[in-house]
Amino acid sequence: MSVIRVAGLTKRYGGFEAVRGIDFAVDEGEVFGLLGPNGAGKTTTVEILEGLRERTSGDVEVLGFDPAVQARQLKERIGVCLQATNLPEKITVAEALDFFASFYRRAGDIRRLLDRLQLWDRRNAYYSKLSGGQKQRLAIALAMVNDPQILFLDEPTAGLDPQVRLEIHNLVLELKQARRTILLTTHYIEEAERLCDRVAIIDNGKIIALGAPGEIQARAAGHSRITISCATPLPEMEWPNAGGAQIQIDAARTTLTAVSNEPTRTLVELVKRLDQAGVEVADIHLKRPTLEDVFIELTGKRLRD
Amino acid sequence: MRVYLAHIVLNLKLTLRDRLVLFFNYVFPLVFFFIFAQAFGASRGGAFVQTVSMVLIIGVLGNGFFGAGIRAIQERELNILRRYRVAPITAAPLLVASMVTGWANYLPMAVVVLALSRCLYGMPLPSNWLSLAVFLSIGIIAFRSIGLMIASVVNSAQEGQIIIQLFYFPMLFLSGATLPLEFLPKWVQAVAQFLPASHLFLGIQGILIRGENLLDVWRAAAALIVTTIAATFLSVKLFRWEKEERISGAAKLWLAAALLPFLALGAWELRTQHNLAKVKSLTRETRRSQVFLVRDARLFNERGDAGTGSVLLRKGKIERIWQGAAPSARELKAESIDASGKTLLPALIDGGIHLDQSGAFPDSPSPRGEGATRRHLAAYVYCGVAAVRPAAPDLRAAARVASGEWLGAELLDGSPAAYSSAERIPDEIFARLAAEGTPFAPALAAAEAADAVRERNAELLEPSLVQQVAPPLLIEALKKRLAAAPLSPPHPRRLDIASDNLRRAWKAGVRLVAASQSGLPLLLHGPTLHRELHLWVKAGIPPRAALEAATSGNARWLGAGSRLGQLAPGYEATLLLVNGNPLNEIDSTQHIAAVFIKGERVIRAELFEEE
Repeated sequence: MSVIRVAGLTKRYGGFEAVRGIDFAVDEGEVFGLLGPNGAGKTTTVEILEGLRERTSGDVEVLGFDPAVQARQLKERIGVCLQATNLPEKITVAEALDFFASFYRRAGDIRRLLDRLQLWDRRNAYYSKLSGGQKQRLAIALAMVNDPQILFLDEPTAGLDPQVRLEIHNLVLELKQARRTILLTTHYIEEAERLCDRVAIIDNGKIIALGAPGEIQARAAGHSRITISCATPLPEMEWPNAGGAQIQIDAARTTLTAVSNEPTRTLVELVKRLDQAGVEVADIHLKRPTLEDVFIELTGKRLRD
Repeated sequence: MRVYLAHIVLNLKLTLRDRLVLFFNYVFPLVFFFIFAQAFGASRGGAFVQTVSMVLIIGVLGNGFFGAGIRAIQERELNILRRYRVAPITAAPLLVASMVTGWANYLPMAVVVLALSRCLYGMPLPSNWLSLAVFLSIGIIAFRSIGLMIASVVNSAQEGQIIIQLFYFPMLFLSGATLPLEFLPKWVQAVAQFLPASHLFLGIQGILIRGENLLDVWRAAAALIVTTIAATFLSVKLFRWEKEERISGAAKLWLAAALLPFLALGAWELRTQHNLAKVKSLTRETRRSQVFLVRDARLFNERGDAGTGSVLLRKGKIERIWQGAAPSARELKAESIDASGKTLLPALIDGGIHLDQSGAFPDSPSPRGEGATRRHLAAYVYCGVAAVRPAAPDLRAAARVASGEWLGAELLDGSPAAYSSAERIPDEIFARLAAEGTPFAPALAAAEAADAVRERNAELLEPSLVQQVAPPLLIEALKKRLAAAPLSPPHPRRLDIASDNLRRAWKAGVRLVAASQSGLPLLLHGPTLHRELHLWVKAGIPPRAALEAATSGNARWLGAGSRLGQLAPGYEATLLLVNGNPLNEIDSTQHIAAVFIKGERVIRAELFEEE
C-alpha cells in the first residue's frame, strides 16, 4: 500500500524549473531513496511532501493528506530530519526530546528512543558538547519523537566523516528491519545501494531511473568491466566473443579491457585464450556496474566530484 | 497551551544557563545603577528617583532590543528555527515565550534595584508598587514585542544590528532616561514625544515621584499595549523560519505600522504639550525631593532672633531644627549648606501686586502675555519672595506654578486690605481698623515711586537687585521716559504722608500688610517688596515687625498660615537665606545667598534663562 503518491509534480522558482514532472510512489515499510547530485531537485521534492513548500503543479498525497492543504495534520504524523539544523547550545539531549515531544499530540517513549539511538548515557549533556555523530543521532531521534508513520531523512550523512556515516547507516538499517517507512535523499551512491529498497535517480528535476538498486544496475546498458594486465605484450589475434564482450587493448599492448553482460563467461573464455597464446597474466580485475555507472551512462556526467 | 508552557520553561532554563544574558540583565544595569547613584548625588537622598527610573529604562531597552530582537535573529541565522518548522506548531508560542521569559528575567532586576535604593540610599519605596509592577510589565512586554518585530523584518544579523541600534540609542539618550529631557534642545524634546521609551520613562517617574497610578499613565500604557498587540500580530504574520527566506525591504514599513500608536500619541503630545509640562513639573518634584542641611545659620522666626541653629529640609518640608550642634550631613544623608554669618528666614510674601503690569509707564510699550507673567513670577522667586497676591486673579498662571511647570511665586488670594491714601489718615480710623482687625497696607514704595515720578528721579532703578531682575530694555525705557517729559504720577500719594500714616497705624496696633504694589510705574516685580521693608524701617517700624508682616503676617492673612511664613518643623521648606542680619540692618534681605522653594534650592542664575 502506497503511503506517498506523487504524480506530475513540478516546482518553479521564478523562471527556474527545479522539479519538472516527477512521478513515484512509496509503499509502507519500504526505504525509498532519492539519489541525485546537488541541485537536482531532491530537497525541493521532499520539502513539498513535508508540507514546507508549495508545489507549482501536480498531485501529491502523503498518508492520504495533501501537504499543501493539510500540512498541520500531516506534520503530526511524519518525522523530518532536515539538513543543517541546529539546537540551542545549552539544551540537553533529554530536554530537546521533551521539548519537541510537547509539539505533538502523540509522543513515543523517549527513554526507549534514547536507548535505541544510543543517547541514553548522554541524555544530560549539552547539545554543544555532543560529537558530530551524536548530534546527527539526536536529529534523527527528534524526527522520531512523535513515532512517525513516515520518516524523512534529507541527506542524513552529508558532511559526516566515514566512521559516523557508518554509524548512521547501521541505524537506518535497524529502522529498516523494524519496517519503518523511510524516504531519504542522498548524493552518495553507496548509501542508496546499501540502505534503499528502491531508488529514484533524479537529475535536473526529472527522474531518470527508478527501481531496486540491483534492478537499475541490471537494466542499465552498463556492463561489468574486466581488466587484465599482462607481463608480456599481447599478440595480434582473434578474441572470443563470449557473452557479447567488447574488447579493447591499449597502445602498449599490456592491458586488455572487456565490457560484458556475462562477465563470468567472458572471463573464463579470455583466460583460457591467453593461456593458449602463452601470455603471462599479471593481474585480473572484475568490476560490476554501480549506480554511478548507471548515472554516468544516463546523464553523461558523474554524480559528484 | 502545553506548547506555550514548554517554550516558556525551556526559554527560562536556557536564559539561566546563558552567562551573557545574566550579565546584560543584571550586572549591566546594576553597574549603571551604582555609577548613576554616585554621579547624581544619591548621597543626598533626593534625585534618586531619577537614577532608579534610568536604570529601569536601561533594563527594559536592553532586554527588549537585545534580549528579544538580537536573540530571535540569531536563532534564525543559526538554523535553530528551521528545525521547529517541520513540527506542527506556529510562531505564536515562540514569540509569546520570548516575551514571558523577558518579563520573568526583568522583574527580579527591578525588585533588586528598588531594594538597593531603599537599603543603601534611603529612597522610600513606591507607594503604588502594584501600578509600578503592572506598568513595568506592560513596558517590558511591549519592548520585547518591538524587538521581535524587528527580528521579523530584517534579513541578516548585520541588518538586525543596525536597525536595533537605530532604535536603541535614540531611545536611550533622547527618552530622558540618561539625559534629562529638559536639558535637550526643544526640537529634540519634540522628537522624544514619538519614542515609546519617553512615555515609559515619564510614566515610571510619575508613579515613583508623584505616586501616580495606572489610570494616571493610561495613555502611555494604552499605547504600549496596542503596540504589543500590533507587533505580535505582525511578527506572527511575517515570521520566517529560515535565513534563506528573504523579506522585501518594504516589510520594514510594518515596523512603522506597529509603532503607529506612538505616532498618534506623539502628535497629540506635541499639540497639548502635556508631556513637556509634565517633564518640567517632574523635574521640579525631583529637585524638591532633595535633602539639605542648612548649618549654623542665625534663625528668624515670629519672635525674632531665635539664635543659631541648623535646619534639615526633606521632602519639601522643614523636618527638624537643631539649636546648637546638629548631626553631620552625611549621617542625615543630606547635602550640607554652610550658613554661618547668614540668616535663615521664611521666604517673603508680597501682599499686593499687579501681575498684568510690568512697572512701565502706561504710554510705553511693555511686555505682556504669558511669557511676561512667567518672568514676573520668576523675578519674585529670584528676590526670595515665594508668594504674591495679585490684584486680579490669573488662574492659568496659578495652575502652572502649582503644578511645578513654572518656577515662580505662588499666587494667593485674600480679602482686600485698607490702603494708605494720599491724605493723612485720622487716628480714629486706625483705632477702628485695629479694633476690627482690618489689615492696613501702607504702600510706602508706591508713595516713594509717585514722588520719584514727580521729581523725574531715576534713582529707584539703581539698586543692585533691580538691575539683576529687571530686563535691561525695561530699565532703559523707564529712564528715557522719565527724562523725556514731565509725567503725572499714577496716584497722588506722597512718601512723607504715607510714612506718617504707617507710624501711627503701628502705634494704634493695626495689623500691617507688606504690599509692594509692583507692576505700577517704577515698581518692578520682585525687588520692590525689599524696598517696602526698607521704607518701613526708615519710618520707624522695628525690623522684626516689618519682617513678620512680610512673612507670617501675610501668610496668615492670605490663608497660608499653616504652611508658609514660619521657620518651624512641618512648614514648607520655602526659605530665604541672606548674608548678614536683617534684624540689625533691614537691607540685608537684599543680599540673598540662597532661596528655597518647597525644598528646591533655586538656581537663581537660571531663572530667567528659559525662553
